[in-house]
Amino acid sequence: IVPQNRRARLADPIMSFDSDALETYRKSKFYSSREGAA
Amino acid sequence: MKKSDCAPRLLATLFQFLLLICSASADEPLSADAILDRPPSFRVESVRVRYSHFEQMGIGYQSQAGPARGPGSESLTVEQPQLEIVAKQGKRTTHRLWIPLDVVTAASPDAVDRLHGVDTISHASRINEGGSVDLTTQYRADRETSLFLRGNYHMEEQFRSWALGAGMARSLAEDNAVVVASVYQVYDWFDSFLTNGLRVGHASRSTSNGNLGLTQLLSPTTVAHVNYGVTLQVGELGNTWNSVPLLEGGRSQEHLPTLRHRHAFVARLAQWLPWQGALKAFYRFYLDDWGILAHTWESELYQRMGPRAYLRLNYRFHQQTGADFFTTLSQTSAGLQTADSDLAPLSAHTFGIMTAIDFPLKHIAGHLDIGLERYLRSNGLHASIVSCSLGLRF
Repeated sequence: IVPQNRRARLADPIMSFDSDALETYRKSKFYSSREGAA
Repeated sequence: MKKSDCAPRLLATLFQFLLLICSASADEPLSADAILDRPPSFRVESVRVRYSHFEQMGIGYQSQAGPARGPGSESLTVEQPQLEIVAKQGKRTTHRLWIPLDVVTAASPDAVDRLHGVDTISHASRINEGGSVDLTTQYRADRETSLFLRGNYHMEEQFRSWALGAGMARSLAEDNAVVVASVYQVYDWFDSFLTNGLRVGHASRSTSNGNLGLTQLLSPTTVAHVNYGVTLQVGELGNTWNSVPLLEGGRSQEHLPTLRHRHAFVARLAQWLPWQGALKAFYRFYLDDWGILAHTWESELYQRMGPRAYLRLNYRFHQQTGADFFTTLSQTSAGLQTADSDLAPLSAHTFGIMTAIDFPLKHIAGHLDIGLERYLRSNGLHASIVSCSLGLRF
């Protein structure tokens, strides 16, 4: 759908879903310790 | 269990890993690798540290830090440093070492100690230190396929946990789509207490988890991701010292089922915005066989402030039904019952702001960010969070 040469925007770190695993862990642990869903 | 020497053990493990890295990456100026231009066999790619501080105030009927019929205090503070080191071994193998630590100062377990003169949670009574060592090794089998293995050991003063995981990622259609499948098995072993703080032996639980995810490019400015995770938990599923206020006065032990099936479906979307920004949306549908059904929405708005800095605003809303056996005042001490405020019907809002800057050093790409968040829960609990991070990519 998107050829390799048209992915400049997608390569920006602010478009990444998992660029910071430490932040993901902080949020995941915080919410799973205070809510019944996880 | 005796008071653990958690921090020294974790530091020793980290030190051994760093020694391994240093010894393996020390290139001689005129080594054969340098002359033949071969890549070093072991190279550190990045190091990142994050420090987070939580301040929580609130009340919950499971806590004994208050009136006999509750609710009691759920006040706590958390100091949470984390370290991540990513290293490459050859062309195909990547190792990720991750060490999170948690130092929790909480009123609820401390109240058990003060009321009954026993020492439930620690010699320091109010402070529980916990930490993990987590190593993930990823092997790139070919251009489209990666395999990974993960091992984790977690310890707290009265708690031990071991976890193993494995997974595979497969890239399709020139990386337009990536499918990831993974499985995890966690085994927890911990001290068991009565509500008066007396230790009665050990308890355990098993957590088995499977995940299937798909990331798909939808356009040159749009990415979507969906994921389904199923988790099966068996064994003692509480912390064992939570209590339930009784109608006749006094408190009863919390009684939870010994089996829990948990399902979570997640959808994410990231959209590039023409004014050098990005909008991310997140939705999770959660369902389990304890009667909890939850919807979670989150959105993040990013705005670049030049090529090296950006600002993020985020908002999250969570809503859940309560567990079938949730109560704040029980008529009997028999049967399934919990007063844990986390398992109550509730809604919660989170507001946050974060700013980040990427800075070049000589041969290093640096990253620095700091963020603030405020969490407000409908049943009397709120928290403030400060988190900052420093990353170096070599």
